[in-house]
Amino acid sequence: MTDRAAIHQLLDETVRRERGWLISSLVARLGPAKVDLAQDVAQDAIEKALSTWPYKGIPDNPRAWLRRVAGNAAIDRIRRSARELGLEDDWHLTAPDEDIITPSLRDPELDLMVLCCDPQLAPQDQLVLALKTVCGFTATETGAFLFLTEDALSQRLARAKRKLRNNSEELARYPTRFALKDRLPLLLRIIYLMFSWGYLPRRGSAPIREDLCREAIRLSEGLMARTPETVPGHHALHALLLFQSARTPARFSETGRLITLEHQDRALWDKEMIGDAFAQLGAAQSSPVLTRYHFESGIASIHARAPTWRETDWASISRFYELLSAHAASPAVTVNWAISLIMLGELDRADALLADISQVNQIESMTGWHLAHHKLAEARGDTLAAQAALEHAQACLNSAPVADHINGLLDRLTGPVSR
Amino acid sequence: MAKFVLMLPHARDRYENLPEAEFMDLMKDYIGWVEEMSANGKYLGGEKLLADGGKVVTNKTGNIEVHDGPFAEVAEVLGGFMVIDAGDYDEAVEIARSHPHMKHNETIIIRQTDPAADD
Repeated sequence: MTDRAAIHQLLDETVRRERGWLISSLVARLGPAKVDLAQDVAQDAIEKALSTWPYKGIPDNPRAWLRRVAGNAAIDRIRRSARELGLEDDWHLTAPDEDIITPSLRDPELDLMVLCCDPQLAPQDQLVLALKTVCGFTATETGAFLFLTEDALSQRLARAKRKLRNNSEELARYPTRFALKDRLPLLLRIIYLMFSWGYLPRRGSAPIREDLCREAIRLSEGLMARTPETVPGHHALHALLLFQSARTPARFSETGRLITLEHQDRALWDKEMIGDAFAQLGAAQSSPVLTRYHFESGIASIHARAPTWRETDWASISRFYELLSAHAASPAVTVNWAISLIMLGELDRADALLADISQVNQIESMTGWHLAHHKLAEARGDTLAAQAALEHAQACLNSAPVADHINGLLDRLTGPVSR
Repeated sequence: MAKFVLMLPHARDRYENLPEAEFMDLMKDYIGWVEEMSANGKYLGGEKLLADGGKVVTNKTGNIEVHDGPFAEVAEVLGGFMVIDAGDYDEAVEIARSHPHMKHNETIIIRQTDPAADD
């Protein structure tokens, strides 16, 4: 990695990690009603960092720098609003009221996630809020993930925050233990999205945001350790995260080029982690209900067992995708289902599936959709359509390694000269 | 070696309403450049200026008067300055060419400091 690439990665990781950490720990100190303030202060500190570091260079300890600046700004803000409210000058930062029954998970980030999952908000608003607040994603990243335009996303975010503010009296307390239980499934979803983003970032030069993957696993482990009863689907989700992480050492060539599952050297997979994943999958069987994570970790386990791409049990995978689609349909699920059908030679069925989702909002911006069309065209021997699909994929928002991968496929198809 | 000051002006509304991701990419370019120049021993320091217009102190009328900066009307503002080490103007210009400011903005003003002051 070049020095410059290393600096870019350091900045990306620091900013994302610290945004989440600053907001969570400020909320933990100032109380849940101060989510907005915490978010503003963290944002200001990050902007200050980004606009002054070009002149001063990166400080020796960027995290300490950000925490100091954000901390001072928070104190400054509280004093100011305290004065406006007519509070005495010696008004101090206070911890959340003692008398509130807080089933705190004792991890500020998990706590804030729970808070964002307020049932008064629509589920997608909860997600937007948590991804943007706790996980430190930018609006562009969050939007691309949820197939929302940036405008639609900021509207959702504004609405969610307005609701939180209006209800700040009630919101100024962590949910009771009973209410907490209802919120946990959404926490799993947030962890899942966080991991997915790290596993294949949509923008930037980093082939994988290992910090995000690690943190998703950390949060998942933390949640498992701190909740007395396992949330349905949690073991399955954890299995999924481990199966996917186990492939990391095989996913990139020495030059940083993305290697798809099809071409990975399976000897490089982390066997110990796969073992742990199977253990989690075993524990998942005792779940009272089936969740999407059961199907997804089932799919991942079939890949983990298969000696090669060709010898994979595609019939089972296709069946799992069908179940998953009935359970939690999404464009990404349909695309993968179609690919498994292509592997089985059921090309017309795959084609019909892809056609079914062609009207989905923002589908044109989804790289995987175009790549599935590429695979389909290739299976049919239609070089022109294969090339067109790749060119569409090229036009999507891709991280550098994915763009490289697509270019490589195009080169193979047309020869490097014609591009 | 001599010291050169690079002044970095930008359009007044250059960074207003810029999406965060774009701002971040921009600043990563700047920070990467400064880190690289520092590693080569070419970067000596710099200051970012606040975008508040500043103050003007004048005694034109015989009394000392203080005014707010005149920058509200101007199209360009000075974002900050950087001090670099270079052999001569030619080298300083070469360094300025590689500056991300030339990719993201329009102008860099270069002035050499008077070496006599350093002795």
